[in-house]
Amino acid sequence: MSDARATQGAGDAADVVLRTEGLTKQFGGVTAVDEVDLAVERGELHAIIGPNGAGKTTLFNTVTGAMAPTAGSVWFRGEEITDLPQEERPHRGLARSFQSNQLFADLTVLENVRLVVQTAESGAFGLDLLGDGRATHREAAVEYLERVGLADKPAAKATTLSHGDQRRLGIAITLATDPSVLLLDEPTSGMGPTETRETADMIADLRRDLDLTVMLIEHDMDIVLSMSDRITVLDQGSVLATDDPEAIRENDAVQSAYLGGMREEL
Amino acid sequence: MSEDASPVESIGRVRDATLGGRLRKWRVPIGLLVLVVVLRPLVGQPFLLDYSPFANTILVWMLFAASFNVLLGYTGLLSFGHAMFLGMGTYGAAIGLARLGLPFTVSAVAGMVVATVAAYLVGRIIARKGEIYFAMLTLAFAEAVHFAANQNYGDLTGGSTGIVGAVPAWIEAERGVKYVVAAGARFDWYYLLGAIFLVAGLAIWQLVRSPFGRSLVAIRENEDLARAVGIDTRRYKVWSFTFSGLFASLAGVLFAINNQGATLSTLTVATSGDAILMTILGGANYFFGPIAGAFVWLFSEEFLINFETLVLPLAQVPLVRIDLAGVLAYWQFFLGLLFVISVLVAPREGLWGLFRGLLERLYGLVAGGGDRE
Repeated sequence: MSDARATQGAGDAADVVLRTEGLTKQFGGVTAVDEVDLAVERGELHAIIGPNGAGKTTLFNTVTGAMAPTAGSVWFRGEEITDLPQEERPHRGLARSFQSNQLFADLTVLENVRLVVQTAESGAFGLDLLGDGRATHREAAVEYLERVGLADKPAAKATTLSHGDQRRLGIAITLATDPSVLLLDEPTSGMGPTETRETADMIADLRRDLDLTVMLIEHDMDIVLSMSDRITVLDQGSVLATDDPEAIRENDAVQSAYLGGMREEL
Repeated sequence: MSEDASPVESIGRVRDATLGGRLRKWRVPIGLLVLVVVLRPLVGQPFLLDYSPFANTILVWMLFAASFNVLLGYTGLLSFGHAMFLGMGTYGAAIGLARLGLPFTVSAVAGMVVATVAAYLVGRIIARKGEIYFAMLTLAFAEAVHFAANQNYGDLTGGSTGIVGAVPAWIEAERGVKYVVAAGARFDWYYLLGAIFLVAGLAIWQLVRSPFGRSLVAIRENEDLARAVGIDTRRYKVWSFTFSGLFASLAGVLFAINNQGATLSTLTVATSGDAILMTILGGANYFFGPIAGAFVWLFSEEFLINFETLVLPLAQVPLVRIDLAGVLAYWQFFLGLLFVISVLVAPREGLWGLFRGLLERLYGLVAGGGDRE
């Protein structure tokens, strides 16, 4: 995508690729996301932490367009995308993975990823009526499977995979949209310590190889503190602090609101 | 393709290279051809229906059900109003021919264009709606069309009488059998019908196997994920609805020839319901599911309704005679039971899924098997 565009417009600093301005999402009387101002810089791994119900996933949903925000705006690479339909955003380079396993359940592992490669090529809609769809984009799909370590199971049905493999397939699906900014929603949820470590390493490799900017929701503090460039702490929908891991660790407000019980551990 | 292809690619190529692999790849075209060739002699067998023109009716319903399955089986959309597009094809052909004096082909094409445009417009209005609202709105639109045809505006549709005796000039009927008479040749209508069915069936197959069709499958499998990865689900649904309507209207045109006109019953909810029942009974998961469903449904209707006495072991050697007239007259009850069981056991598999499962197990036995757990 054009780098020139990202460096211009809307007064964004050259290295801010994703920005929210007063982003708010209310459900009835509940404010799940409360005037969030956030700036994600090119190439960084920006973790979002906070207790359950802090609004982390709702933040992702409003940024990716799965939900319309009640107020505020979202800017991506210098352009406002607040009203851009959800399905257009992956084609601009903004992609997300899901907290729960969202897959094309009855299809094979290969077809899950192949379909997404096809979509990335064709755009949000295409009346492409010729040829055998399943015969296209196979090699690109296999490359994504290799990246997440699933290349040996292309013909398995998605639902027959183990939980960990399903999470990996979810990441392969997200990668297949060819993103520049990747939003990962608890990629290690439900994994054991070994798998968690492997997944963290995989994310680090992907960042390096694919030049990705990553926003990460994660509960595993070891991963968050060791991998992140910056951390944003959400509490009851509001930003409590945004800073580097060292400063977050020392931040008193964060300590009392969220990390309280973990002081020794940290 | 390069030499150092990925493992998956080479697995695919090895499989395609074998005869079995090639047969597998082209199984739908082969299956459609076999179906068209075999259907008529099969239903004409004295010990079955003994009435080969019934194959015409079966073929048209098969096409109608297959067009419906583009929606239900491939896109995951449930419509209760598919009959409106069938009816627009039937009425379009019959109105053009009988009321406006147009050549049959022109009327037929006009009817199909109207149906396709209507499908596109209805699709645009309802594609964003959730499952239940979508289904209810299709029902509402279909009822509106039924109402309009019943009102007989401008004396076009003939109200509850329908349009009787709208027959193209090149069709000759003789003792219940229709012949096509064109350019000095005279042959059974079934052969032209079969050819049209074959072309339409192949077109539907191509539609669902194309990249476009695979995007429909993505929507069926997980609509939220499909949107999240960049599929404009609304537009794909609109076009799925449009194509589905187009093929339904073609079935409608063929209906008009079979029935020598248009009847109001074509437009009823019961007709839409038949498409749903046939598709689910046969198995929405498979291309041949609705086709098998249409066959079983209609064949059972015709066969069982006339089946009164079971003679065992053979008609020629009548040792035991069992009177079934009082039982099989309720064929719909038994078919309904079969329907309920197949939905409870495997909602998307149907009879065709069962049949395929048996074939695969049989193939496993013959080929030495061993690769099944």
